[in-house]
Amino acid sequence: MNDNGCIHLNNFKAAKGTNPYKIVHAFFVACTSFEARRYKATSCLCFTCGMPGPRMHSCLHCIYFACYAGHIQDHSKTKKHFLYVDLSYGNIYCAQCQDYIYDRELTEIGVTHKLKEAKSLGISVPFMPWLPNPNEAMALRRLRKRRLISPHTTIGLRGLQNLGSTCFMNCIVQTLIHTPLLRDYFLGEKHKCKAQGSGKCLVCEVSKLFQEFYSGAKTPLTLHRLLHLIWTHARHLAGYEQQDAHEFFIATLDVLHRHCMNGVDENGEKKENGRCNCIIDQIFTGGLQSDVVCTSCHGVSTTIDPFWDISLDVAGPGSLAACLERFTRAEHLGSGAKIKCSNCRAYRESTKQLTLETLPIVASFHLKRFEHSSQIDRKINAFVSFPAELDMTPFMSSHRRAVDVGADNNNAPEGVCEDNRYSLFAVVNHVGSLDAGHYTAYVRQMKGSWFKCDDHMITRASLREVLDSEGYLLFYHKTVLEYECENS
Amino acid sequence: MTVNNTIAHQRLVLTGDRERFKELLRRRLIECGWRDQVRMLCRDVVKENESNNITFDMLAARVTPRARALVPDTVKKELLQKIKTHLLTQKDQ
Repeated sequence: MNDNGCIHLNNFKAAKGTNPYKIVHAFFVACTSFEARRYKATSCLCFTCGMPGPRMHSCLHCIYFACYAGHIQDHSKTKKHFLYVDLSYGNIYCAQCQDYIYDRELTEIGVTHKLKEAKSLGISVPFMPWLPNPNEAMALRRLRKRRLISPHTTIGLRGLQNLGSTCFMNCIVQTLIHTPLLRDYFLGEKHKCKAQGSGKCLVCEVSKLFQEFYSGAKTPLTLHRLLHLIWTHARHLAGYEQQDAHEFFIATLDVLHRHCMNGVDENGEKKENGRCNCIIDQIFTGGLQSDVVCTSCHGVSTTIDPFWDISLDVAGPGSLAACLERFTRAEHLGSGAKIKCSNCRAYRESTKQLTLETLPIVASFHLKRFEHSSQIDRKINAFVSFPAELDMTPFMSSHRRAVDVGADNNNAPEGVCEDNRYSLFAVVNHVGSLDAGHYTAYVRQMKGSWFKCDDHMITRASLREVLDSEGYLLFYHKTVLEYECENS
Repeated sequence: MTVNNTIAHQRLVLTGDRERFKELLRRRLIECGWRDQVRMLCRDVVKENESNNITFDMLAARVTPRARALVPDTVKKELLQKIKTHLLTQKDQ
């Protein structure tokens, strides 16, 4: 396919310019205003048969509307008007070439109108497929080697040697490597480092690790450099004894987040609101809202704190949803825990409720299976079921507010943009006792394709097996990612 | 299409809801992989006919029945349900 149109369209453009296309497109393909929608609603009917379809087209020469079931073709033949526009997609049909043709200039007009339409309807920017820029196109032509991803591919899977009780690290690394958005970031070589080659940046190390995982080699990797880097930057984890995988996960995110500052361009930049915009924060940071309500004056004091994961009590509830339900339930703080109310200017009893104000792209749940107290250290093996697909809407601050005021969740299409569905992509398990345990991880390599990572051993697993496992750390990825509007 | 249906259709266009539903459908079809499947179907058809120049109409005729059959029931159900509820609430107003 080329985007230089055809000789007939080029002749038409030379005679009449792009205005006829612009007008048809702005009014009847992508309505850029309410007025345009009114025109489209009332006049987009076949002039021959009066029907609104199938596949309405408009003659580009005389703006005659007709359906593709023969009437636009009839019009074209009798009037010798050979160009007509498809009103659903904006493509141009040339009756002399007998096919749709593509013209770069007109395509660009179409794209601007589509963006205007999305804005006028208040919906997010429509999906635009990736097109290589001239540099990328040249690189693709120069590098002929392609790797085909088949449904049974094992690409991206590699075992990790145990360096003496380092399974806690191995399963976290496996999780990070299989985090879809993190993978896209690193395989897209987005980390451009000022400290490159110094061997001191953990982000660079992870970047190299992604290359190793996706190189196609199958031998297990040894992560001594990574381990050393984390030991240097998170001293409390240094040493050869078994560590807690959760603690290691948080420490790793923290070091990565700090090292992102080494990056040139977008990495080190902060958003206007002062929040860090590094890839770790973009993917893992959410906002936890805490509402404290004074029982005497009903004044509410709200604070929002960033979080990387949610730790959940496992005693009692039998499912992840129940754990979350309990986590976000209003809790009465008794007389022993009075809080100073800024309204009453006195210490009052109050209720406290936690809700999720903003959701991270990756939602990480930590099931508190290890209980450490002065009397006893023990592991809680309580069964907690967790789903493959999770909707986080009920645990959000906005939803809780709506429930409180009794608003019903209507089905209007305005609400479709709020999509809080998540899909499970990794589970870390702890087997054995508190002091002599072992960590393994299940990771989703592709949609519906799960593998168990037990240090250097990688074996295929079923979703059932994953969902039946005990679960210590659960990782969910946002199912649908929204596109940010560039000029908003 | 009856007169009532035409009016309902016009109203959906006027309010922009038809475009909103279309955007929702488009998203769902991308999410579930339908779009990629259809793209593969198209590639296969083009490859089969490498010798003669294939037109859009030929491609549409070959791919449409298979592409329709590939639309997951869950997507159809969701859209149907949402459009139905939407039209009923509109009717009350």
